[in-house]
Amino acid sequence: MGESSVLWLRVAAGLYSIGLIDAIITVMRRREGLFRIALGAFGLGALFHLVSIVELGLAQHQLPVNDIFETMSFCAWVITVTFLGVYSRYKAGSLSVFIFPLVFVMTLVGALRSPVSPWSNPVMRSTLLAVHVVASLLGYAALLFTAASSVVYLFQERQLKRKQTSGFYRVLPPLATLDDLISKSLGVGFAFITMGLVIGSIWAFVDMGTRWIGDSSIAISFVTWAVYLALIFFRVSAGWRGRKTAILSILALACCMVTWLAHAQLQKRLLQ
Amino acid sequence: MRLLITGLSHKTAPVHLREKLAIAESALPQALQDLQRLGAAEAVVLSTCNRVELALSTADDVEPGPIIDRFLAQWQTSAAPFEGHIYRLESREAIQHMFRVAASLDSMVVGEPQILGQLKAAYAVAKAEGTVGGLLETVLTRAFNVAKRVRSETGIGQMAVSVSYAAVELARRIFGSLKGQTVMIVGSGKMGELAAKHLHRSGVSRILVTNRTHARAEEMAKLFDGQAVEYARFPALLHEVDIVIASSGAPHYILTREDMQRVIAQRKNRPMFLIDIAVPRNIDPGVNEIEGVFLYDVDDLAGVVSANILERGKQAEQAEAIVVAEVEAMMTRLKLEQVTPTIISLQEQLEEIRATEVARTLRRLQGLTPEQQQQIEIMTKSIISKIAHGPISELRRNAGRPEGSQAIELIRKVFHLQP
Repeated sequence: MGESSVLWLRVAAGLYSIGLIDAIITVMRRREGLFRIALGAFGLGALFHLVSIVELGLAQHQLPVNDIFETMSFCAWVITVTFLGVYSRYKAGSLSVFIFPLVFVMTLVGALRSPVSPWSNPVMRSTLLAVHVVASLLGYAALLFTAASSVVYLFQERQLKRKQTSGFYRVLPPLATLDDLISKSLGVGFAFITMGLVIGSIWAFVDMGTRWIGDSSIAISFVTWAVYLALIFFRVSAGWRGRKTAILSILALACCMVTWLAHAQLQKRLLQ
Repeated sequence: MRLLITGLSHKTAPVHLREKLAIAESALPQALQDLQRLGAAEAVVLSTCNRVELALSTADDVEPGPIIDRFLAQWQTSAAPFEGHIYRLESREAIQHMFRVAASLDSMVVGEPQILGQLKAAYAVAKAEGTVGGLLETVLTRAFNVAKRVRSETGIGQMAVSVSYAAVELARRIFGSLKGQTVMIVGSGKMGELAAKHLHRSGVSRILVTNRTHARAEEMAKLFDGQAVEYARFPALLHEVDIVIASSGAPHYILTREDMQRVIAQRKNRPMFLIDIAVPRNIDPGVNEIEGVFLYDVDDLAGVVSANILERGKQAEQAEAIVVAEVEAMMTRLKLEQVTPTIISLQEQLEEIRATEVARTLRRLQGLTPEQQQQIEIMTKSIISKIAHGPISELRRNAGRPEGSQAIELIRKVFHLQP
């Protein structure tokens, strides 16, 4: 019974991933991407998700919130239903930039619970790991651009506010150009970091079984990703610019550095 | 060839003198023809509101001064007291002056771009009349290149030096391209209209005009293909607007901090540029403290302009250095051109002697193989090039030197070169 419950949950995660793509497009182009399609997929995903929870509950004869995986899945479903309710009442579409990726990642974590057979192929193992590392590093690089552009934005904004138009001010790009650069690098960075996170989680799940969720460096990765998500959400929904974006992007960058360091430790352990 | 530039500019003569010498565009061909008839080899006339200049070249043995005197006697409308206002510049100074004028270093507003266009137009008229085609043309076309170099290597023309253009420059600092931006003009002040005109020309896509008197708004909207908005309705439309130009005669603030806080929240913090050119001011100065709002009043814009003028001064120093280097290069080139005919005739003379002697020798020595004939050719060519080497380097070394003409003359005599 439990097996097919996980299957339904994976189908739900697949449907939720369309929401993630929509969120990335919205951040980069600053207009509605696939919102209609993503919303439909989200509704359908919620249905599969419900089937999965009910099936698991029936099998266990209790509410399926016994471990971190089940709790995560249940919580994601609650968020999904709440969002759909809030959307039908208030049409607050901009929340989706935050909710879609969050629900997807939470559901994915929930779906990585019953151990699968370990690597049948060592090449697959190392390839996936390499893709995870490259995607994460590209994400960090993009975030570095976001942070640097935000600082330059802050500087240019200050010069314009103080009406100082000589010297350094002349060589800085216009605010709109910097803003565009911030949006683009944020979108690209988020796409890569999410990809790194998803592939990393799946890899760890296959490699370590259910123990993967308890690893501290993986937990740090999730925190970093959440900061990134918050940065994107505030920017898209509240139009954060200037100082707030600069501070948050530097915070996100710092989180990335911590994650990186934590992973250096992880690698040592894995290679032992 | 000799080069002379003479004329009046805003630096040497007031407008009531400049206008007496000014030559209308329609009269330019006639003036050029007259200068040539009076003995100039080439002539170009530049007549703008800030300067009237005649540039001409003559053959070495023709004094350019009297040509100018006769020309002025014919052309000036009254016997004006030009003495002390007219400058006459020859050779090196003339070249330097032309480079500086083209690079807009001699302009009233240093770095303004119009002068280059005016100079190019003057050149085009002279070209059409056939009064350029030698030294003057060489110098003039080089001047265009110098101007281009100055413009690209210094920032001399990049900074706005008028209040209304400074507004456009600032808008570009904020929005990058102005395409797709919306402007709202509140009130009908002259300065506001001028700033709006610049923005319109810079490509803003939509212009809204509002005024207490709606008819006046409609009238002004027509000037920019804009759209008149009822005065009562304008605050409700502000969130769609990127740039506001306020120049109404209202005695109190028409936009307060609270208004703008509401607008900027509606815009999700997208930046807004407010230009308040009204006195008394139309917009609460506290508005500038709101994030994403940039408010500039008349004094702020004037401050930008004076900072720009200062900056242009710094850039002008760099530009002057470029001009000096270019004049140096031009002089070297002209000096070499001065001895080029002598070098060519020396080479031709020696080659003629060689060719004649080789032909005679080959006639006498029958039965030489083609290889042997070729060896004789090579050997004789090598002899004359070694003979010519000394005098040619001496000619190059003496080019342009005051005492050089004697050395050049001596070499011509020694080798029996035709004058």
